[in-house]
Amino acid sequence: MMMTKSDDSFLDDLFDAAQAQAPVVPDDLMARVLIDAQRAQAVQITAPKLSLFAGFLDMIGGWPSVGGLAMAGVAGLWFGVAPPQALSIWTAELIGTPVTVDLFGDTNAYFTEALIDG
Amino acid sequence: MTPSTGNWSDAPDGVILLAYSRGDVEAARVLSARLLPRALAQATRMLADQAEAEDVAQEAMMRLWKIAPDWRQDEAQVSTWLFRVIANLCTDRLRKRRGVSLDQIAEPVDLQPSVPAQMQETMRMQALSAALAALPDRQAQAVALRHLEGLSNPQIARIMDISIRSVESLTARGKRALAEILGKQKSALGYDDD
Repeated sequence: MMMTKSDDSFLDDLFDAAQAQAPVVPDDLMARVLIDAQRAQAVQITAPKLSLFAGFLDMIGGWPSVGGLAMAGVAGLWFGVAPPQALSIWTAELIGTPVTVDLFGDTNAYFTEALIDG
Repeated sequence: MTPSTGNWSDAPDGVILLAYSRGDVEAARVLSARLLPRALAQATRMLADQAEAEDVAQEAMMRLWKIAPDWRQDEAQVSTWLFRVIANLCTDRLRKRRGVSLDQIAEPVDLQPSVPAQMQETMRMQALSAALAALPDRQAQAVALRHLEGLSNPQIARIMDISIRSVESLTARGKRALAEILGKQKSALGYDDD
């Protein structure tokens, strides 16, 4: 629908009438708003400030993260005391296995035989 | 109730809000005296319902109190923030009205039927609010800020966090849509057809 200037001039009258509205704030509304303000202020002021530990806790993501850290610590200790076989194989492949070399085992036998022969 | 303004009369809203967040009890009174009338007027113009407008104004002020500790003065003006919150709260309420005809909207409690002019004025404001409810949210907000609050396009752009060009587009389309919706009710609203 094509609107001409005269068609929507009533709209400007409506806008003017709306703008002219200046409702007076009722006393009870002001009172409610001020009560809200006092309550919010009391909560904000009495809220405990973060301690160093609480700050650390907040930094790492809260108690769930502490649980994860504790679990990782226990698992690390357990692997150190009694490593699973799969872990031993894996570490052997990665860094090799310790080898014991007996430098004198065969020599002793040789000397023994020599003494008998002699 | 007329809260005293104390020593804050010349201070910017943001400074007073900061004082409030630090525990100054007088700051809330000063801010409420400054901002609540404006908030209530904006909500009344958009909703044309006194009870709903009061609820919206109270809710917006409550949000202001809650955001006070995190307020950053260099980022926004309190008035800009409040215009935005009121506009959003009002469009939330207008959205819920969609599908409800004007006849189903409750009569305002302070209506004085013995005064025809006031009845007509009330009916016009309700029709305007109902027409705003029929618009997309952003159009309704832009039109209300431009034509009901009388704000400039750059101010609206800051409030709605959009470009000035977008504001121009939204207000133009919104006004055309309002003219079409309300044009059908011109006679009922007491405007001559010619």
